[in-house]
Amino acid sequence: MTPAPLPEPSDQALVAAYRHGDQRAASELVRRHGPAVARFLYSSGALAADIEDLVQETLFRAFRGLDRWRGEASFRSWLFTIAGNLTRDAFRRRKGREVISLEDRDLPDRADPDAELAAGELEERLRAELGRLPRLQREVFLLRAQEGTSYEEIAAALGTTPGAARVHYHHAVKRLKELVG
Amino acid sequence: MSGCARLSDRMPEVVHGRSRWTPDEAAHLAGCADCRRELALVQATVAMGRKAPRLTDPAGLAATVERRLAGARLRRRDGTRRIAGLAAAAALLIMVWGRWPARPAPTAAGSPAQSLVPLPELELLDPAELDSLLQRMEMPSAGSSTLDAPGLGDLEDTELEQVLDTWEG
Repeated sequence: MTPAPLPEPSDQALVAAYRHGDQRAASELVRRHGPAVARFLYSSGALAADIEDLVQETLFRAFRGLDRWRGEASFRSWLFTIAGNLTRDAFRRRKGREVISLEDRDLPDRADPDAELAAGELEERLRAELGRLPRLQREVFLLRAQEGTSYEEIAAALGTTPGAARVHYHHAVKRLKELVG
Repeated sequence: MSGCARLSDRMPEVVHGRSRWTPDEAAHLAGCADCRRELALVQATVAMGRKAPRLTDPAGLAATVERRLAGARLRRRDGTRRIAGLAAAAALLIMVWGRWPARPAPTAAGSPAQSLVPLPELELLDPAELDSLLQRMEMPSAGSSTLDAPGLGDLEDTELEQVLDTWEG
């Protein structure tokens, strides 16, 4: 009989280990949450070429300010709030300039290229419209729809109430649904 | 809660594969175009996230972050040292300034009220008696040179006060 795999350490345990100088704990946290932060940044309208730098900056700020993470929200949600601040700063810096680029990406071959093209166009419009949403609406929507985060956790991460988070989500959905047609 | 609101709340869980529609929910979805549009929106949002650029080297990224943190710690420590050095220099300057010979003694710059504190016994003397007393104080004592015993006019205010205190007992 093979022994049961050891449970993965919690984020709290990894953060504690990192504070005690365990560099591998930081690597594990990056491996665990980096891709989600990249998704969040990309969906918030960050340029694909900037994603890696923005993820790095998000993690740098997070580890530098670890004392401010008290564990009310998950580590990932906390990273999203930092990434949200970075996105807002990036928008401010390039205000008046292009926010979302229509990039040539390697799309997987599918049987229906028209459907694929339509899906690609929908995503680009979706990114553009997400970038125009009020910040809280955008962040609540992405945390809820893209990551499946509960309203309670969203509220803890963004400093609001679960009820208010729900309202923000529905406002965002109402506006974005128009794109789906 | 209406059927649409209940479905809306459950959509992320279903789209992320953590749950399935119940038969009732599936029936509602089949008949509600608005809910189908919302579901398409959530699905498109998840699909969009999957197209985010992949992080090429998470371990390398963590190492870069750690290097930056180490650099920031070093800068902060240097900054603290610089501030401590400046504070020490300022303290030294204040000390030197306080002992500078050309500077009047601190009590000379005291408040007028402080320098006009009446001497209770001397003030009982009339002006002639006071003049006579001061003249006697100014006279050098026998056997001592004027170099050893300076006149009252050569004394600093504090020294003069000390002499008067001694006289008054």
